[in-house]
Amino acid sequence: MKNEELAPHIKDITRALKGKVSEEEIEQELQKWIQKYGVDINQAKRSIVNNLGGDPKELFTPSEKKIKEISGTERNLELKVRIVSINEKDIEVDGEPKKIHYGIFGDETGTIPFTIWETLPEPLDKGDTVHVINSYATTWNDKPQVNVGSRTRMRMLEGDEVPEFKRTSQRCDIRDVREGMSNLIITGRILNVEKKTVQTKNGEKDLYSGIMADETGKIQFSAWHDFGLKEDMVVEVNGGYVRSWRGIPQLSFDDNSTVDILDDGALPPKEQLEESGIMTISQLARRGGAVDAIIDAVMIDIKHGSGLIFRCPECNRVVQKSACRIHGKVDGEPDLRVKGILDDGTGALTVIITREETEEILEYGLDEAMELARDRMDHGVIKEALEDKLIAQPLRLKGNVTCDDYGLMLIASEVKEKKINMEEEARKLLDEVRV
Amino acid sequence: MSMIQREVAWRLFAEEFNQSTMEISGSESERTPSYVVTPLGAMVNRVYMVGVLTETENLGTPEDPMWRARVSDPTGTYFVTAGQYQPGAATTIASLEPPAFVAVVGKSSVYRPDDQTVLTSLRCEYIKEVPERLRDYWILEAARSLKKRLEAMEEALRMEEVSIEEIVKLGYEPDLAKGIEKASEHYSSITLDRYWSMLEDSLRYVLPEYERTPVKTNDEPEIEEEESDLEQMILEVIKEMEEDLDQESGVDYTKLMKEVMDRENISEPEFEEAIKNLRNMGQLYEPDLGSLKRIY
Repeated sequence: MKNEELAPHIKDITRALKGKVSEEEIEQELQKWIQKYGVDINQAKRSIVNNLGGDPKELFTPSEKKIKEISGTERNLELKVRIVSINEKDIEVDGEPKKIHYGIFGDETGTIPFTIWETLPEPLDKGDTVHVINSYATTWNDKPQVNVGSRTRMRMLEGDEVPEFKRTSQRCDIRDVREGMSNLIITGRILNVEKKTVQTKNGEKDLYSGIMADETGKIQFSAWHDFGLKEDMVVEVNGGYVRSWRGIPQLSFDDNSTVDILDDGALPPKEQLEESGIMTISQLARRGGAVDAIIDAVMIDIKHGSGLIFRCPECNRVVQKSACRIHGKVDGEPDLRVKGILDDGTGALTVIITREETEEILEYGLDEAMELARDRMDHGVIKEALEDKLIAQPLRLKGNVTCDDYGLMLIASEVKEKKINMEEEARKLLDEVRV
Repeated sequence: MSMIQREVAWRLFAEEFNQSTMEISGSESERTPSYVVTPLGAMVNRVYMVGVLTETENLGTPEDPMWRARVSDPTGTYFVTAGQYQPGAATTIASLEPPAFVAVVGKSSVYRPDDQTVLTSLRCEYIKEVPERLRDYWILEAARSLKKRLEAMEEALRMEEVSIEEIVKLGYEPDLAKGIEKASEHYSSITLDRYWSMLEDSLRYVLPEYERTPVKTNDEPEIEEEESDLEQMILEVIKEMEEDLDQESGVDYTKLMKEVMDRENISEPEFEEAIKNLRNMGQLYEPDLGSLKRIY
């Protein structure tokens, strides 16, 4: 653990010992327990307080803290914060559906992710300031976060009771952007942008949304302020935050952020960036989805419900044995698609290939597929034909990747055989091995 | 977050897989998968491989088939099985005629007939005949994957104590780091040299100037002109079996292997190596698939 990470813990111990022992001494002591003896931080804190004549319970008495001081072990945490962002999420607890909220708190010392595990007594919105009493902190991916549980109380504050939050910005490649990040500095070229008007709690608002890219990948963005964004512009966004929209992480920024227009040469031209961002499936899993991603992988399975299928004319669901799950016996409408498993050796995901692309793979259309199936009196022939063409085939696919509790799913907008120069690749690898 | 993750299909050379003696058993009730942990730290639940189908055999009955196929890559042979619970794969294996290039997706499995022996195999999920270029492409993928593990393992062996955290800090993925930690605990001595040369040899295998003979993975000298003790013993056993059974068409490969392995404490690769040497020296030939005969 680095020194700055120890600082909040040292403060906790100093407070629990009521200032009887100097911070320097506590730091030495804590270093010894953690580095030399490898004792768990919580255990170490308890033991130190106990050994130096304090009461370990004091470690957990209510304490008002600034965000920067949160160590991730607090059991009884009091905060006055501004809501930087807030999102809703449906989860299941013991088989019961439940609505929770997550987002980012900010104060003048920094920002921190939070999760509210209970139903909100009153709706909270971005920009609201709240007094949080009796929350607790945990760590996730080595970073502290705040949890609002059943024993936590939340009280709305007047807006000016909490100063504007401080952004401690971090520069980030688009490929590494993940849900929950905030205060990002992102450099990207705008591939497309359009103005939309959306309804919010505070009335109608203009939203500028589109896709931007750097050499590592692409991301959807939403600008809640008119920064004069134009297609093909290279911009540096300072103060962006990330939330997921329909299972894909999205960069948002608003009038708290700044946008600088950079020199056109700062990034490769648009055509090149359109093809940027080949991602491995493990990268996609860690990031949680991506827009217009490019994946090189092998199709290793084609699932039931692929090939020639029939859909309910009412709800579009796939019909089995001429019956829709919801609408009973229906005259299904024929369609073609592939539902398969792609695997690139780093991970696996489900891929959906829709009718147009499926027809291209089969090299014939829906009508001919129907005819073939009728001739053979078996709808399975189309699935078999797709297996023949796709399984074990190295492919390059493009499309949006979404992420939910069932894992990753690619909706392919483009499917091509991957072109490989075997000899060149082998020699390149061989050279690397010999070094 | 409880995202359901499908187990990745490892591109793994047969030799590394077959050298594995470590298994992590999963539990059905807790929905944790089983893994075979290779000496280089791959935690393998599923394998994707493309190789040459060399033999198929139904160990079951026509009604209740249990197919076993041998599929070779440049480093060794995978044993691939398909029974009543893999009806699609079993039907395909039954219809395939060796030799053929095949792509296989299978679940790793370990069988321990006794304390010393560990037999690894794949329970086939899918098998399909493919063109040769897909085999070459697979070799590239498997080589890349092997290289990453070798580099990570090399770093790990330099550490005083192998720690997942330290390996991840070097830029390797947490899953690989976990496997490397487990492998370094289990396998007493991990020699990387043979894997490095296996990697080089397999890459040369896809180059046009390369003569396609199987990659050597043992440190033994090339082909010895004189038969070794083991090879002499095998010739002896074949002679006995031929006399006992009065077999015109030669002796059954599997029976021979069993007989030899009963007498001498050797591994299956060692046996295969010896048979290969004898054939190269012109001492043995294969009158039918799966049977061997001495050349007088």
